[in-house]
Amino acid sequence: MGWQDKTIFVTGATGFIGGRVCERLVQEKASRVRALVHTVQRAPRIARLPIELCVGDLLDRNSLRRAFADSQIVVHCASGIGRGIVRSTRNLLQAAQAAGVERFVHISTAAVYGLTPPPGSEIEQAPLRRTGEEYCDNKIRAERVVARFLRRGVPAVILRPSIVYGPYSAWSTRLIEALRHDLVALIDGGSGACNTTYVDNLVDAILLALENRHSVGETFFITDGERVTWGDFIRAHADMIVPNRKLAEISKREVLARYHKQPGVWRSSLREARTLLFSRELRLLILKIPLCKQLLAPVWRELESMPPERRRWVRELLRNGSTAPQVSGETFLPDPVDFATQTGTVFFDIGKARRTLGYEPRVCFSQGMKLVEHWLHFANYLSDTSPISDSSLGD
Amino acid sequence: MDDRIRLAILGCGAITRSAHLPAVLAHPGVRVVALVDSDLQRARALAMTHRLECKSICDHRELLSEVDAVINALPNHLHAPVNLEFLRKGIHVLCEKPVALTIAEARACCEAADERKLVFAVGMNRRFEPSSLILRSVLDESLLGDLQGYDWEYGAPYDWETASGFYFARAQAGGGVLLDYGVHLLDRLLAWFGPVTLFDYQDDNRGGGIEANAILGLRHSGPFGDIAGRIRLSRTCTLQNGLLVRGKQGCAEISVEDESAVTLYRQIAGQEVSMVVRLARNTGPSGSFLRQLDNFVQAIKGAQKLVADGWQAVAVIELVQHCYEQARRLPEPWSEIPETTAR
Repeated sequence: MGWQDKTIFVTGATGFIGGRVCERLVQEKASRVRALVHTVQRAPRIARLPIELCVGDLLDRNSLRRAFADSQIVVHCASGIGRGIVRSTRNLLQAAQAAGVERFVHISTAAVYGLTPPPGSEIEQAPLRRTGEEYCDNKIRAERVVARFLRRGVPAVILRPSIVYGPYSAWSTRLIEALRHDLVALIDGGSGACNTTYVDNLVDAILLALENRHSVGETFFITDGERVTWGDFIRAHADMIVPNRKLAEISKREVLARYHKQPGVWRSSLREARTLLFSRELRLLILKIPLCKQLLAPVWRELESMPPERRRWVRELLRNGSTAPQVSGETFLPDPVDFATQTGTVFFDIGKARRTLGYEPRVCFSQGMKLVEHWLHFANYLSDTSPISDSSLGD
Repeated sequence: MDDRIRLAILGCGAITRSAHLPAVLAHPGVRVVALVDSDLQRARALAMTHRLECKSICDHRELLSEVDAVINALPNHLHAPVNLEFLRKGIHVLCEKPVALTIAEARACCEAADERKLVFAVGMNRRFEPSSLILRSVLDESLLGDLQGYDWEYGAPYDWETASGFYFARAQAGGGVLLDYGVHLLDRLLAWFGPVTLFDYQDDNRGGGIEANAILGLRHSGPFGDIAGRIRLSRTCTLQNGLLVRGKQGCAEISVEDESAVTLYRQIAGQEVSMVVRLARNTGPSGSFLRQLDNFVQAIKGAQKLVADGWQAVAVIELVQHCYEQARRLPEPWSEIPETTAR
């Protein structure tokens, strides 16, 4: 029996990668897919499919056990936050071990080598080292938990994709929004290694990991296998808005010099405080206090009585803090995470995945971006063309 | 003597908490006698939050002899059977949309109400928004000239706080975005432009699930002649979120963000101008759910005609059901299994 005849348990199913995994499993005729859903509100994309939505929480072993039920194969796409990344992976592996699963595919990340992978980390055997980045370090810990359960008999495979993009990806939606507000600058001409991974290429690798018996116990980098730079990636998105538009550029040296000038803790504290201040969560909490509700009601009424365009502008301002570059006249300064991510030089080698899994990326970067563009139009991020005109009745 | 209408609310989920109960508490003509929910704790908690001296129960059948009217806000698949139980006992019903999952069930509810001369109202609160009332007048007064068509987009990433999660199970919800958001639009379109003579429907349901995106082309034949329009609905994408009705002499726009006004676009002396039209004096209760409840109460007293009755809902459900039966697959080129394009 192949994996198509087994019960497949997918975590992170309401997310970008897990959602596509569910779609592809259905397209590839998987007979039974159980999708773990933490918050049912986020499920509209996968609720279109003939799969089971199982409400549960990876951090709550009882709900997880109920949702897991008799699953035979696991595709672990959920990420989590902070130590939750490690705990949720451990809980899931425990459930998988108890159920005696036949395959456990763990979606890790190439960021186990840090946001700026050092030279030498092109191949999977390169030693892991913590960089102090919470996400990266916890993904290392999660991989170690997987290795521990592998020794206890769970047939696990680790996949390390890099910049996974495609329809529904926040890489694209955030970039389009940032480009619209001039909040993007190419660092050193955009020469950093991007290591793009089109989501369907990753799903191909997952499916191969399910059926290939040589994959167990192995770790694989998964990318498109092309030397795409951040400049290529950002320009491809910018061209969707205005073709051949000139983008702001900034050198690594200037970024570092300007970071150096910044009152680091103060600035970041102020920024975080602003984010918190304008967050929906805080607003809802404050509105529970009757006096605050009474005081804020006129402000709310004022906002609601503004013309729609003005109201949208105010909302945008509150959401982003600013709709303009940080300092007028100065080139936009990328934040430290983007800077670290976009200044790597390492292109990961997918030779091992090719040899052992039989992985061959089938969607090239230019085709992947075309599909992204189709979806961005559909999702109204690029609003000049509406699919509404596809309807055949016409005027 | 307390002559207020004795009312129970069935279902204590998000819509009751955020809309129906606040409306009921603000209306002087009704008295809540019971909150009903299969989760007794939820019903009790809601009663306690509002310091209500009413029953909190989990079986609605206990109420059949104790109430004059009910608001049915249970999960969709329970609407019709529970409506029928109450209507057959002579109790007026205001039911959340959709009133039923099939045409037959919806008709049965209407017939049960008609036989006993009961009020059977449908939760179409958007009909009570000022923008809907103003647009109706704009059309009736021919302010746009001969009508040419309309486009209506309504969509945002789904964020409705659903207590039971029934929205995503086909058997309980009955459908996806068309049945959930779409009926609000179809209800008004049928009321404004008349019955549908032709439709073309596409959605992204992929075999047994419920659709998150839908596109519907419609042609009506009614008081304004033949008019074609398009609707796009989404639970995954943020759309334009507004209605644009185009006429030979101008356009009218309703924005979801401001349901208190209609924007008119006209040419004046060769110059395109826009005018925001609001009700100069907003008489009656404020808020669409309260106005809806008030209409229900006044209809029970015989003082007003129902604005949105069951038979109108039957027409909407008929259209929705036909759409589902004849659905075409919404093209999603990014969603097909990809061809090999890499070297």
